[in-house]
Amino acid sequence: MDFGSYRREALSVLMALLSVGAARTRATEYYSSKSMSQQLAGLAQKDPNLVRVRELAESRGKRKVWLVEVGVGSDENRNTRPAVLVVAGIEGNDLVGPFTAVSWVEWLMRQYQEDPPTAELLKATTIYVVPCLNPDASERFFAHPQIEMGGNHVPRDDDHDGLVDEDPGEDLNGDGLITMMRVEDPEGEYVLDPNEGRLLLKADPLKGQKGAWKLLPEGIDNDHDKRWNEDGPGGPNFNRNFPHDYQYFAAEAGPHPVSEAETRALADFVGAHPNIGIVLTYGAADNLRKTPKAAKSPGRVKPMEALDEKDAGYYEMFGKLYRKAIGLGKEMECLSEPGTFGDWMYFQRGRLSLAARPWDVALARAISEPKQEKGKSPAGEDKKEDASFDPNAVKADKKSPKSQGKRDEEERKQLKWFDEHAPEAFVSWQAIEHPDFPGRRVEVGGYRPFALTNPPAGMLADVAAQQADFLTDLARKLPRIGISKIECHLLADSVYEIQIHVVNTGFLPTALSHGETTQEVYPTRVVLELEPECFLSGAKTTFLPTLAGSGGTAKARYTIHAANRREVRFQVVSMLAGRAEGTIELLKAAQNK
Amino acid sequence: MTSISKIRFCAVASILSCLFLSAASGGQPKVLDPVDGALPALGASYPRKVEVAWNRFYDHAGLGSILARLHEAFPDLTELYSIGKSTEGRDLWCLEVTARRVGDPARKPGMYIDGNIHGNEVQAGEVVAYTAWYLCHQYGRLDRVTALLDNYVFYLMPMVNPDGRDRWLRDSNGAMSSRGGSSPVDNDRDGVADEDDYEDLNGDGCITQMRIKDPQGRWKRHPDYPEYLMVRAKPDEAGEYTLLGWEGIDNDGDGRVNEDGKGGYDMNRNYPYDWQPKYIQYGAQDYPLSQPETRAVADFVLAHPNIAAAQCYHNFGGLILRGPGRQGGEMKNADERLLEIIGQRGERILPFYRSIITWKDLYTTWGDEDSWLYGGRGILAYTNEMWTPRNLYKGSQPPSDEDEAEFIKQVLLGDGFVPWKPYHHPTYGPIEIGGEKKEWGRTPPSFLLEEELHRNMAFTLYHASTLPLLRISDVNVAPLGGRLFQVWVTVENQRMMPTRTAQDVDHQISPPDVISIQGEGVKVISGGRITDRFFKRVEAVECRPERVELETISGMEAARVQFILQGGGRFTVTVDSARGGLLHQDVSLP
Repeated sequence: MDFGSYRREALSVLMALLSVGAARTRATEYYSSKSMSQQLAGLAQKDPNLVRVRELAESRGKRKVWLVEVGVGSDENRNTRPAVLVVAGIEGNDLVGPFTAVSWVEWLMRQYQEDPPTAELLKATTIYVVPCLNPDASERFFAHPQIEMGGNHVPRDDDHDGLVDEDPGEDLNGDGLITMMRVEDPEGEYVLDPNEGRLLLKADPLKGQKGAWKLLPEGIDNDHDKRWNEDGPGGPNFNRNFPHDYQYFAAEAGPHPVSEAETRALADFVGAHPNIGIVLTYGAADNLRKTPKAAKSPGRVKPMEALDEKDAGYYEMFGKLYRKAIGLGKEMECLSEPGTFGDWMYFQRGRLSLAARPWDVALARAISEPKQEKGKSPAGEDKKEDASFDPNAVKADKKSPKSQGKRDEEERKQLKWFDEHAPEAFVSWQAIEHPDFPGRRVEVGGYRPFALTNPPAGMLADVAAQQADFLTDLARKLPRIGISKIECHLLADSVYEIQIHVVNTGFLPTALSHGETTQEVYPTRVVLELEPECFLSGAKTTFLPTLAGSGGTAKARYTIHAANRREVRFQVVSMLAGRAEGTIELLKAAQNK
Repeated sequence: MTSISKIRFCAVASILSCLFLSAASGGQPKVLDPVDGALPALGASYPRKVEVAWNRFYDHAGLGSILARLHEAFPDLTELYSIGKSTEGRDLWCLEVTARRVGDPARKPGMYIDGNIHGNEVQAGEVVAYTAWYLCHQYGRLDRVTALLDNYVFYLMPMVNPDGRDRWLRDSNGAMSSRGGSSPVDNDRDGVADEDDYEDLNGDGCITQMRIKDPQGRWKRHPDYPEYLMVRAKPDEAGEYTLLGWEGIDNDGDGRVNEDGKGGYDMNRNYPYDWQPKYIQYGAQDYPLSQPETRAVADFVLAHPNIAAAQCYHNFGGLILRGPGRQGGEMKNADERLLEIIGQRGERILPFYRSIITWKDLYTTWGDEDSWLYGGRGILAYTNEMWTPRNLYKGSQPPSDEDEAEFIKQVLLGDGFVPWKPYHHPTYGPIEIGGEKKEWGRTPPSFLLEEELHRNMAFTLYHASTLPLLRISDVNVAPLGGRLFQVWVTVENQRMMPTRTAQDVDHQISPPDVISIQGEGVKVISGGRITDRFFKRVEAVECRPERVELETISGMEAARVQFILQGGGRFTVTVDSARGGLLHQDVSLP
């Protein structure tokens, strides 16, 4: 469907919003599916020449997945310009990403009017934004009770017992939230943290500790299988549903890669928009806090497991740019995940693909750490050691007993941070009567849904502003093709020698090394508007080698026999770096002889 | 009969016919339906409600109408539906064949059979339609077919790639062209898709080869079969021709001929298990199941959890292929043993065919259909490459080029080959065009086609006959005193295939088999698996005692469970197995 039909419905709300300055009114609130639709409709209406909004897909829960396009000119122009794609709300529990993505669009709209360099950038660039790929999941933030789950609304038999969605969570203490419950149980594997009674620690038999508590999600055992809330409603996490390093049979991966209407729509969209040269995905996976691993490419015989080492420098550079933009003084541990959209775009589509978790407590703390730590390093940035610790990065550390102590400490720091900044994020333990545990001590509490991955609403604007700076920088780093020189000499009657020099004035090369390996980034070509029989040397279509960034050049050479022609027009076509047109002045060359 | 008596008999017969039959016969046989008095040969026997000649290749409409006529003639055995549309909008027809009045079709163990995912591999469509036709006509006539349709359900999909099929049948083609689907692909990466395909330059309906007389050429005509065969000149010998490849011109002026034809991908590399992108696996497309045809097949299989076995038909090579498609791909020992046993039977049913493992004995494939069916769904599946040239001379060795030329010359009397004829090519100038017809090489000649269809079907019906077949063979009730009873339920799998393969169990693909008890007057106090029936070892379930989950029910074996009941009256034993069926048995407590 076109946005138009929705627009009519939303118009009255819109007008009210616009009259009070739409862009900022919702600045400190997360978007529901409805409020995002309204906001985007407003943006599209405000500047229809710059912003277009269309439906990318409809979720299983009948919500719209929107695509926002920022750019000017005809469809053909926008489809062939260098482009950035930002995808948010793909992870399911990500609310800050969607907010950030929409804020960036708003920021670009303002800058287009107020800042000439940004206006020029937008005239030469196309920005694609999918602000929320999984509206079914993010809508659970607004549901009653509120529950955090990564999947869309596709039913799934999570516990493989032949029954589907038969054991969801229940709000037992009536606070409108599905949190956790702790059950006093001699078979439990947790003990209370002696330093922080609200936290539970894994009992360590090496220290002679015996578990006393079970930690379970809030709810009852609906299907009486002695497991709690193990099969609630919901399908795959979209950011585990893409083909690179896809984990077949994994809990959140879906029945097969690209199984969902929403992920398929996104995959088809990037297939239809090969001009996308840089991708940024907001989600759990992050390759900007720390430069990802690289290795020598195995070529075209087997799948790659790490970045092509020839591309690593670009990732390192973008990581520095990112950390500077968000005020992070050094690298810190971050997660990679299997089957992400971002990895698909690099490993199989050959695009520069960045990924960021825009907020968590570890990042917030690292950013606000006292400055003196910085002073230890004369360079002032990018110390390589892991000075900070991300409690989400369990993968790397889960085996080491030493790391357990470190993680416990991090959990205490995390809770302390919330106590100082957003005490409502942790729901105090509250004793309840639980039907599955008659006569036993059961308490409900813990972090609110979405609290660990999304900042308190009051901090949203700052996070979004820092990210917007970085996102705009991305657009400035795209490769851009141009014609630097056209040489034409008359050799003899109607026979000309021609050289067309092509330059890449952008930062990135016209193709990453892995873009060449995957063959998904086509080589730049020069196409002359000249009949094939006129070529004494060279051909109508000439493929150029990859042009390095920051002024890399390549040339196409021809000898042609063209009687009675004054000029020959030509086109330079790059998949990621745009297009350029030129004219070879035959007549002028003949006169200059 | 002596010759004299024969003459007498003939004379009498002719007099009689003159006397009693119409004068119009005029000494010639009557024009009747010869079928009426025919003695059917064994095999696919008469009477036939739906007559089909199985010595030709039907287009999408033709095969569709065969299915429609079968459905009309056998409403109690068939359902006909489309599972989706091809890229060009053709229906993906599926004929569901089972005894619809015997049991619930949706709960019978299912056999999925498809073919012709490669458009040019046309007999792969006929074999699936032949199977439908055979099953319908033999139901009630042959006990083994009757049992197959009473116990199981067949999902028969003759054409996964009807676009490629119709293009191959109707348009000019070579034996290997029109393999892929119809979505445009920019093979030469010049920004335009599908702009430089083959051309039937001389308008003879065939895409054949081009050759040019060339004193520096390195090819010459075969001394014994100059009209059919080209051979390389010896290293120290002058040649007479240069070969120029398939018939066509340089449509887009880039100095290359036929470099960007229709499509340019392979749907049998588009399935989601062990899938790898184009730069590793040619034809994979952008992501698994990107194509409407493969997506429809996968959605169909996912929507039919009763499918327990599958067969994909292709041509050619005389192969019964099983996974994995790549080195190190998953294949559980127990499943491999079954696939090997069934495949070995196939080698007997199909002379000159070899039962082999794809990656090891053929080549590596990523993302093929049988790898997904097995790896992703735990379904025992084969890919048959129908037709082998060994069948030309019924010998175990593949025929030489000369043998094949001899066959074309003496058995086909020249059919199968387009004689070389001069042509003026816009780039090459005076050339000759000729060579093998598209039907030669990958499809059998008419008189061998029916044999290919029947034998391949027979192999697949054998495969189907190993599908799990469950029976509640015993419900033993022993009073324990008071109102307590010990109930032992024995569920037998009467066939070779387990209800869940090792791959299925390992990855929890299907739900577990569940044996349960329901009854208004009874309470189930305990339930569990009997691990040793002689020593009466029972492994009790921890919760939900009325419901005992089993990983699988092995082939030719039995599973036993125990329930301890309290109460009286009647109860029902239910066996619920996604791939083994749904069974109930009512029992009265003493």
